[in-house]
Amino acid sequence: MAVLRHSAAFPFLLLLALLICIPALASGVWLNDGGGGVEEEEGEQFSEELFLKPLPDRKVLAHFHFQSTAPPSAANGRHHHLFPKAIAQLVQKFRIKELELSFTQGRWNYENWGGSDPISSTNAKPPGVELWALFDLPVMEIDATWKDLTHALSGLFCASINFLESSTSYFAPSWAFRSNVSNLRYGALPREAVCTENLTPWLKLLPCRDKAGLASLLDRPSIYKGYYHSQRLQLTSTKSIGIVLKQTLTVVLKPDVQRNSAHSSLDKPIQPSWSVSSMFKKNVTGLCVPAKTSRIFFELETNMVVELEKLGYGVSLSNSIFDLSPNPVRVFKESNPLPGRSNSIIYEYINYSEHEPLDLGMKWKLPFIWSCSQAPFHVSRFLMGSGNERGSIAISLQSTESNKEFLAKSHGCNVQVLIFQVVPWYVKVYYHTLQVFIDGKPQSVSDVIEKIQVSPSEDKLFPGTLELMLRYPCSVQSVALTLDFDKGFLHIDEYPPDANQGFDIPSALVTFPNFHSSRSYVEDNFSLNSPLLLKFQEKNVVRSYTEALLVPLTTPDFSMPYNVITFTCTVLALFFGSLLNVLRRRVGEEERLLNSKDTTRIRLIPLLLSKFSSKLKGRTDGTPKSSSLLGSKFLLILVAVLAVLWHYISN
Amino acid sequence: MATRDPVMTHWSRVLLLFLVSVPLTSSSPSSWATMHNNNWAVLVCTSRFWFNYRHMANTLSLYRTVKRLGIPDERIILMLADDMACNARNNYPAQVFNNENHQLNLYGDNVEVDYRGYEVTVENFLRVLTGRHDPAVPRSKRLLSDEGSHILLYMTGHGGDEFLKFQDSEELQSHDLADAVRQMKEKSRFKELLIMVDTCQAATLFSQLQSPGVLAIGSSMKSENSYSHHLDSDIGVSVVDRFTFYTLAFFEKLNMYSNASLRSLFNSYNPSLLMSTAYYRMDLYQRPLSEVPVTSFFGSVMKTVHTDAAYTGVSMPSEMEGSLFIEDGEHHRIMLENEPNQENLGNEEAKEVHCPYHAWLKTLEGRLDDTVADILLQYGFATMILLLAISSWLSS
Repeated sequence: MAVLRHSAAFPFLLLLALLICIPALASGVWLNDGGGGVEEEEGEQFSEELFLKPLPDRKVLAHFHFQSTAPPSAANGRHHHLFPKAIAQLVQKFRIKELELSFTQGRWNYENWGGSDPISSTNAKPPGVELWALFDLPVMEIDATWKDLTHALSGLFCASINFLESSTSYFAPSWAFRSNVSNLRYGALPREAVCTENLTPWLKLLPCRDKAGLASLLDRPSIYKGYYHSQRLQLTSTKSIGIVLKQTLTVVLKPDVQRNSAHSSLDKPIQPSWSVSSMFKKNVTGLCVPAKTSRIFFELETNMVVELEKLGYGVSLSNSIFDLSPNPVRVFKESNPLPGRSNSIIYEYINYSEHEPLDLGMKWKLPFIWSCSQAPFHVSRFLMGSGNERGSIAISLQSTESNKEFLAKSHGCNVQVLIFQVVPWYVKVYYHTLQVFIDGKPQSVSDVIEKIQVSPSEDKLFPGTLELMLRYPCSVQSVALTLDFDKGFLHIDEYPPDANQGFDIPSALVTFPNFHSSRSYVEDNFSLNSPLLLKFQEKNVVRSYTEALLVPLTTPDFSMPYNVITFTCTVLALFFGSLLNVLRRRVGEEERLLNSKDTTRIRLIPLLLSKFSSKLKGRTDGTPKSSSLLGSKFLLILVAVLAVLWHYISN
Repeated sequence: MATRDPVMTHWSRVLLLFLVSVPLTSSSPSSWATMHNNNWAVLVCTSRFWFNYRHMANTLSLYRTVKRLGIPDERIILMLADDMACNARNNYPAQVFNNENHQLNLYGDNVEVDYRGYEVTVENFLRVLTGRHDPAVPRSKRLLSDEGSHILLYMTGHGGDEFLKFQDSEELQSHDLADAVRQMKEKSRFKELLIMVDTCQAATLFSQLQSPGVLAIGSSMKSENSYSHHLDSDIGVSVVDRFTFYTLAFFEKLNMYSNASLRSLFNSYNPSLLMSTAYYRMDLYQRPLSEVPVTSFFGSVMKTVHTDAAYTGVSMPSEMEGSLFIEDGEHHRIMLENEPNQENLGNEEAKEVHCPYHAWLKTLEGRLDDTVADILLQYGFATMILLLAISSWLSS
């Protein structure tokens, strides 16, 4: 009976097992197939993109954009698949709402590389390190948290960000940096060196590091050979979306010039041809499998399209001016800047092949000149005055082409400009000396300045900051602001080892709130897929950073104490010498000795003295009679100086 | 040996134990019971400015060597006083070479610099050694060694008699170094410490060291200079120092599993090639150098310790402890027999020559301190007259 029941149970069990398995298999297939999107929407995501653009001054802009997202981590606990754990812990521990850290070397050239496009207004950064963070904490705890955060970041990115911990180097801007936030802290280190050791930990946050995918292009020598590189890390953490980590690397490279014999005779130089592999000296090796998207975009700027159309060439992949080598997967146009104008065009390439590296290239055939989209005003900042005592800082705004277009559009308009400047305490700015010049003429401050907030520096405690809102008519060609300052003295311990090089004042930030750098593209549902293009569509105000200033301060100089010692010694020696002379010299006895020269009783010292003076006499033949006396006096003084000096030195 | 009676062996054992315990009075005996179970390296380049490129190349060469021989990055504290790789004067951005042939990029793609630029100060250096940091300082910037650690401390820069310059603005004196090492010993932060210094007059930096378990190598003796090896005309500056160059030449032949001893490293230094005399201070070190492999400092061990019960730490059975003690004691005796080495004697003689002068100066200073101004005046007169007499005698 039992045996029979067994044999009957077997197929039943098998059937049961099959029945259990089928849905599981089916669901597995379903998961792998169509519903992948649903699954991934919930989980962590990673995407990588590269944006390339030729620049008018024979250079090429390459902008890498890596984005990782982690959903609110109730389900995962503290574990992550793709999202870097170090960053997640950082966000949790320091309760960060937003954070931006940038390492930059070189200066963004606003005139030639663009001033109003999305890349320049969000990715052009001041030289050195810039860090700002927005905390989700009560105001009392923020400063302590900021200090811990700087230390943590310095360990994470191998940089001396911990110098931002002291209250002299960071600041809480009230409205000019971000509107009305009290729990934001901002700090900058303009002198910080940026090199491989900063890039490597940054790359280690990516799921494929630099081993596969677009990041494999990042050959260190070719990146650091470039004219500008800025490596940025941006964090946003919200309860609804979770943590979004955007890592961008913006590089401006100059392609190697290949001698093109056919066009060498032309007077205008031809743009150098380039390809991804020739610029980076590397190829995209393989796919980064965890990446949801891996794309390369190539942009033809608005002005470039305009120039091409002027010359009568349609916009195509290969015309008589240039060739763009592989065929793009998709082309899309910017939808609407101004009516009746040409729009920028973006070509999209997808890196999908494991074996065939995607090698985008541009080959120029004829000389071609275009210009970049510029910010409404070109901003620069410089020092005036000379000497080690005082000077003044000047900020100048010069109207550009782009502003003229804006002007043409609307009459009787006003331009708003926000200026945010932090100055270290040893540059003591007198804010009452603020002067404004409009088109070269001095203007009363109250006419132009709409809003101003000043917090003067306090010695060794706080930096001085200036937040300023200007408003003036659009027709203005140039605006200049000047501020006088005194140079302070540091304690001898506070001087850096290379104090003679001067001290850096961090870049000032100038914002144009009326101008925005947003783009919109026709194929919206597609571009929604791309984090980079989504970023381009965000409505960002146009911003420009000014140059960092180098202020020479009085430096400790040990030649001065040396001089003081020498002078004092001389005075002392003169005193002691004459004292000795008065005490020891017996004029009568000396005369007697001189008179009775042939006497046999000789004292040692007078004999030596007389011998020496006679020698001196013999050497300087034409000296007057008193030379023996003078000689001995001179000798005495000399010896006294020697003795005192020797005593000082041996002490 | 076999016929020795048990009473005698017992007594000799006691004697050996006594011998061992004499130099151990300052340190806890537990540190001797622990095995060597991890390795750390602290590599310091103390020179700023472009023309000191070679010091950074020295440090990075050592960094590469210890990494190649197995010390992981998280156990290396690298301090570089300036940025040479991305310096505007560097013709080869993001690359540092220690040889004219440019075969080897020392900077590579995976360098972790823990302290750099203005952070390389005497204060931070001493903080790293003694472990007294601000609580916010991240783990990657700390030397988290324990009583089972072998630490390699390599320093290079410009130095002089009993000091090493940091960034051209500060000095680390031999007393500071000795104090820090002593504090490390008290806190049982190391089992053995190898200090390697490549500067001028490097030997003088070790003169104040007292802690047991410390071995020191310097590139030059007192009043000797350490020279650079060669100039790279592309980079425009000297790229490596002689002492480091020949140290690297020795290590390039080795791999992680080599058994070369410290003695063979020390013997590899040829004074005519170095143009200075390498100096070894071994009197604080107990083991015979011919039996210590270089990898015990320049490489890494990951020894597993067998314990019978779970979670009893690294303490060993008592029998093994006893045997270790005897071993150490024997080594110590060997050292006592043949250790009165020439260098030390030479140093003492040199000291004696200078002694009377110093003593005289000291007594003079002592007198001057507590007397009134007229006595000072008298002393001044006396010295002046003396000098006067000498100079006039010389002139005649």
